[in-house]
Amino acid sequence: MRIGIPHFGNVYIPVKAMANKLGAGGEDLIIPPPTSQRTLDLGVKYSPVEACLPYKLTLGNLIEACELGADTVLQARGTGICRLGYYAKNQEQILRDLGYDAHFLTIDLSRHKLASILNMIKTLCHGAPWPQIILAFRFGMGKLFALDRIEKEVQKVRAVEIEKGLANSIYREAIQAIDEARDNKEVKRLNREYIDRLKRVPRGPQADPLKIALAGEIYVVIEPFANMDIEMELGKLGVEVERTLTLSRWVKYSLFLNRLGIDEWKEVHKAALPYLKRDVGGDGWESVGEKVICARNGCDGLIHLAPFTCMPETVAQNIMRSTKEDLPVLTVLCDEQMAKPGMMTRLEAFVDLLQFRRKRRRDKGNIKVFSNRLPVCHSEERSDEESHRDPSPELDSGSG
Amino acid sequence: MKTYLGVDVGSVTTKLALLCEDGQLAASTYLHTQGKPIVQVQEGLKAIKEQMPPGTEICGVATTGSARYLAGVVLGADLVKNEVTSHAIAAMHYIPEVQTVIEIGGQDSKIIIIRDGVVIDFGMNTVCAAGTGSFLDHQASRLNIKIEEFGEQALKSKMPVRIAGRCTVFAESDMIHKQQMGHKTEDILYGLCQALVRNYFNNVALGKKILPKVVFQGGVAFNKGIIKALNEVLDTEVVVPPHHELMGAIGAALLVHEEMATASSKSTFKGFGISETDFHVSSFICKACPNQCEIAQLFLDGRILARWGGRCDRWENAVAMK
Repeated sequence: MRIGIPHFGNVYIPVKAMANKLGAGGEDLIIPPPTSQRTLDLGVKYSPVEACLPYKLTLGNLIEACELGADTVLQARGTGICRLGYYAKNQEQILRDLGYDAHFLTIDLSRHKLASILNMIKTLCHGAPWPQIILAFRFGMGKLFALDRIEKEVQKVRAVEIEKGLANSIYREAIQAIDEARDNKEVKRLNREYIDRLKRVPRGPQADPLKIALAGEIYVVIEPFANMDIEMELGKLGVEVERTLTLSRWVKYSLFLNRLGIDEWKEVHKAALPYLKRDVGGDGWESVGEKVICARNGCDGLIHLAPFTCMPETVAQNIMRSTKEDLPVLTVLCDEQMAKPGMMTRLEAFVDLLQFRRKRRRDKGNIKVFSNRLPVCHSEERSDEESHRDPSPELDSGSG
Repeated sequence: MKTYLGVDVGSVTTKLALLCEDGQLAASTYLHTQGKPIVQVQEGLKAIKEQMPPGTEICGVATTGSARYLAGVVLGADLVKNEVTSHAIAAMHYIPEVQTVIEIGGQDSKIIIIRDGVVIDFGMNTVCAAGTGSFLDHQASRLNIKIEEFGEQALKSKMPVRIAGRCTVFAESDMIHKQQMGHKTEDILYGLCQALVRNYFNNVALGKKILPKVVFQGGVAFNKGIIKALNEVLDTEVVVPPHHELMGAIGAALLVHEEMATASSKSTFKGFGISETDFHVSSFICKACPNQCEIAQLFLDGRILARWGGRCDRWENAVAMK
């Protein structure tokens, strides 16, 4: 059994760690190359055009895994959540049409009981004894938690570092080091070390950067390729990013605790209740709740990430627009047509908007965007339209 | 005299505006970009220099528009600002009571919602060109009408035809159909104006609360047919500010004025000499990973000035290091 997995943020690192601990090594686990333009091109080429970005990217990953010889692939499925429910079935068909006879192992995120998840893990581990599996699992999760903790620090440092890009390069190093770590002790040490290094990065004088939360569909929120490195770009604009959706949390709840009846989203759903009383599929309900919570927590704004054509997030987007909580929301639609310059214009304008709001709040509402150094000129409307047509060089005598 | 230069390099037109310290427009120029932003910036700079009253000093330069980064490097700009903020600032400068800005340019259109002098919301068209100036441009050339005469002609219409404007492709086939049925050109022209406006409100302005005063700016505000169509839809009359086509550039100039007032250093503007220097642009495909990013690079006399276009900051940093 040679198992290929799709990428989802850093999830490949704990999976690899588990495989190594179980002695499976590189033989049995096939990690496709990092999601790239080629992955996207492959995914787009073989997907129905109206499929969403997560579908296309994961298909691309699976094709690349099959190219490397995977005969079994892992994918999520579910009922009543969103199109994710048919990802696996469709992708299986597409892979078969392409001539790859890959066996699909699917995790039902909506229905599987804990027992069947455990069963599946056991199968994937070639029936290794449970104590060994648990040790391997703890090792993998340790790496994931460490990475998420470091990432949280990176999100803060990016906003205030003097030398832009330094936090990122430390983060890249950290990912590699943790990926290569051999035991729990080493992971713990690396965790401490990298957080220390990040804390020591020289910071600018502005002590209080803007805080923007990220919410929306989990795949495009977590996978940097899908959201065009939005966190990095926000960091460059001097913004601190807050993201409650993390991989470690996803694994902990979606795979295990939810199945034991623990409601991860209780608070969030409660917050969403005045506006939306039921699950609308995907992460739509949660997105609405996140907006309410972010407004309470003193975030300056919220960026709502949604795959283009995603039904649950489209529902959420329209509700988020009209809740009474006063929190600016920018929805960024992610798809293969999205161009980075267009996104950057919107991000920059959004950041300006938040900065002006903050300034106004600080000055208790008595401020114009402009200080009064610039006299505002009340120009008369020029009735002569011709003069509009010809922006001729003249000292504008009509204004001021 | 201290002045501040705003440069707005859009996809269709390039605008330069020189503002005096008191906010008056001292010089301006409006050129077609024609896919050559650097050349047009150089040309625009020449035109500004000719108009400049003697004794003028440029104390700050800002760029905006879709080629703002490129123009920023070429000019040595003190500030590079997105076009939403620039347009909002300029609108508030001319019409302080503004609450809504409608801006329709060549390749994109936006709505900016302002309350109490602060931008609180904005929208930009996403994946569709049917609400922009190039839609009108294209259809005008199809009807063999000069874009400058479009508005006048459209106003003559008494019985505008209804054109499906959701998508430029459908609009075009619908327009041809209406032509073949023998409708008058002016009725078709005004029908197009209505289609564009309908599209704008269904797309860009969807869900936004439009309160007066509504300021209409951007190149398309030259078109009286569009102004009429907007007034038909809105409960209020739109206000077209003077120099509406220069608003992005004016906003950038206002912003750099503000910026330089608090800055400790002098302007980084490279001077009018850059009109004569030889900028050279080339591109290559980065092979470092499977992303195969297209990296554009800007050279001045064979020396690299800037690189951009990558997903990661590999090449941008490589320039910064030098």
